[in-house]
Amino acid sequence: MRKHSAVLRLSTLVLFCALAGFGCRRTPRGPGDDPFLDDDILSPHELGGGPGTYPLGGRTADGIPVTGVQFDNVQFAYDSFQIANSEIAEIEAVGRYLAENPDVRLVLEGHCDERGSREYNMSLGEYRALAVRAHLIGVCKIDGARIQTRSYGEEQPLDPGHNESAWRLNRRVEFALFR
Amino acid sequence: MTEFRHEPVRTRRRAAAAAGLAVLTLWAAGAGGQDVTVTKPGAAKSAIDIDGMRVPASAAGQTFLATLAADLKRSGWFAIAPRGTGPLAVEGTLRPRGDGLLADCGAVHRGTGRSYFRRQFTGLDPRRLAHAVADEIVQEVKGVAGIASTRVAMVGAHGTRKDLYVCDIDGANLTRITSQGAVCLSPNWWPDASALLYTSFHGGFPDVYRIDLRTRRRSKIAGFPGLNAGADVSPDGRSIALALSRDGNPELYVMDVRSQRLTRLTRWTRSSEASPAWSPDGERIVFVSDRTGRPQLYVLDRRGREPERISFGGRECVAPDWGPDGRIVYSRRMGGGRYQLCILEPDSRHTVQLTSGGADYEDPSWAPDGRHIVCVRTVNYRSDLYLLDTMGDAPVRLTTWDGDWYSPAWSPE
Repeated sequence: MRKHSAVLRLSTLVLFCALAGFGCRRTPRGPGDDPFLDDDILSPHELGGGPGTYPLGGRTADGIPVTGVQFDNVQFAYDSFQIANSEIAEIEAVGRYLAENPDVRLVLEGHCDERGSREYNMSLGEYRALAVRAHLIGVCKIDGARIQTRSYGEEQPLDPGHNESAWRLNRRVEFALFR
Repeated sequence: MTEFRHEPVRTRRRAAAAAGLAVLTLWAAGAGGQDVTVTKPGAAKSAIDIDGMRVPASAAGQTFLATLAADLKRSGWFAIAPRGTGPLAVEGTLRPRGDGLLADCGAVHRGTGRSYFRRQFTGLDPRRLAHAVADEIVQEVKGVAGIASTRVAMVGAHGTRKDLYVCDIDGANLTRITSQGAVCLSPNWWPDASALLYTSFHGGFPDVYRIDLRTRRRSKIAGFPGLNAGADVSPDGRSIALALSRDGNPELYVMDVRSQRLTRLTRWTRSSEASPAWSPDGERIVFVSDRTGRPQLYVLDRRGREPERISFGGRECVAPDWGPDGRIVYSRRMGGGRYQLCILEPDSRHTVQLTSGGADYEDPSWAPDGRHIVCVRTVNYRSDLYLLDTMGDAPVRLTTWDGDWYSPAWSPE
């Protein structure tokens, strides 16, 4: 009996440490990591959630663009919507700005490079925008009603070039701020 | 099944060269060396003589004949026989009738005297009339749907303008459909070919619209928060499959056309879904999902059982279209990075590569004859639409105009 309860306590401790170790800066899991993971096991707030955790609220017209502040785009690897650790700082800077300016709304504009199917790229661009949104809601605690998404797929490249550097630049989420 | 009858190969000089190819194509066509003239590599063809079609010596008459000949050739089933020869013949007259024309004609088999049909066709436009006659010939002689009267919807890009266009299958009558200055994509036809569904940024966000081709009246079908895209109408016209991200993730939904009620079909929150296409019986949907890390094809049925993966090769399998005979065509990213078209039988998973070579082939759409496919061919980042033949005829370029042309959809009739 004692031995079993010791094992039980040890397992619980290990499990607790594992969960606690995720912290607030975890990148959302992408496809291919573990497609059969049960969504219920991991708390969305601890992980920053996945895109599917936060339904979009209503849709609001854009409003007046905010000037005088500029945030870098979030960049993505090919065919991926995983947010690299290097991109987190920029997202959290936007989070801080939104927290300090409660009258500002955000539209996350998701983009892809020109390769691949246009229709799939509309979904991939949207998923990239939703991944950033999930981090802002789950980690930075911004109200989801203030954040919308708009996918442009491959329709609006930043760089019209047909090479790796252009494609890298085009795989992005842009921050469009409005009042 | 088509009936072929015996006819000797005309040119003995070419017989040796053509023999091997003929054997192959005839074998492929399931025939036994019958009413067929092999004129070039590709599918077997029946020789048909249209000289028996008497037309007035007017522009309309000449247009009718030239269009009829071109339509019969484009169908892939026929070669135009020199005058007075050929086992098959079109016979009849074209005459003015009121403001328009009347064609009274049919197709016969000279050898047996069999009459395939005899009908009257009326119309104002000699091209349209010829299309109708050609389709009837294909239907009655070959037992398959004709494509002469069909059209292709597409996006034409000129600078930053991306509008919807429609043209006849022979490239005539190119018409711009949208003109709002907003980016449009992914047109799909209503089953009766009266309207198009498409995605547009007209309202500032990607929304799905329906535009009536006759009245040009536009209505918004889906404007939910987030993404609204990839809309495809079911064959019975009652449901629209589309990708929406309103619940926080791009998933597939079906919208009832009448009630606009939504039913969610997929619940994979850690991946994005896209590109739904209905099966010809309206019971199943093929779509793209990246749940394994890369976009692949899946099939689900309306009863909502767990979707089944059906594509297993290639780094990406995207842009599926489900054809009238049950085969699925899609674009696959090959090892070297090129996109090629493949044809997949969903039940056996048997896959055949349709295209090859130094270009990217994407965005395929089946013709209602279940034989031809329109697709995007991109070389050096310039895109044009090509008509491909799954039975071996050479590709034919459809778009010969300035700009980039993509997102084709072949009309259902």
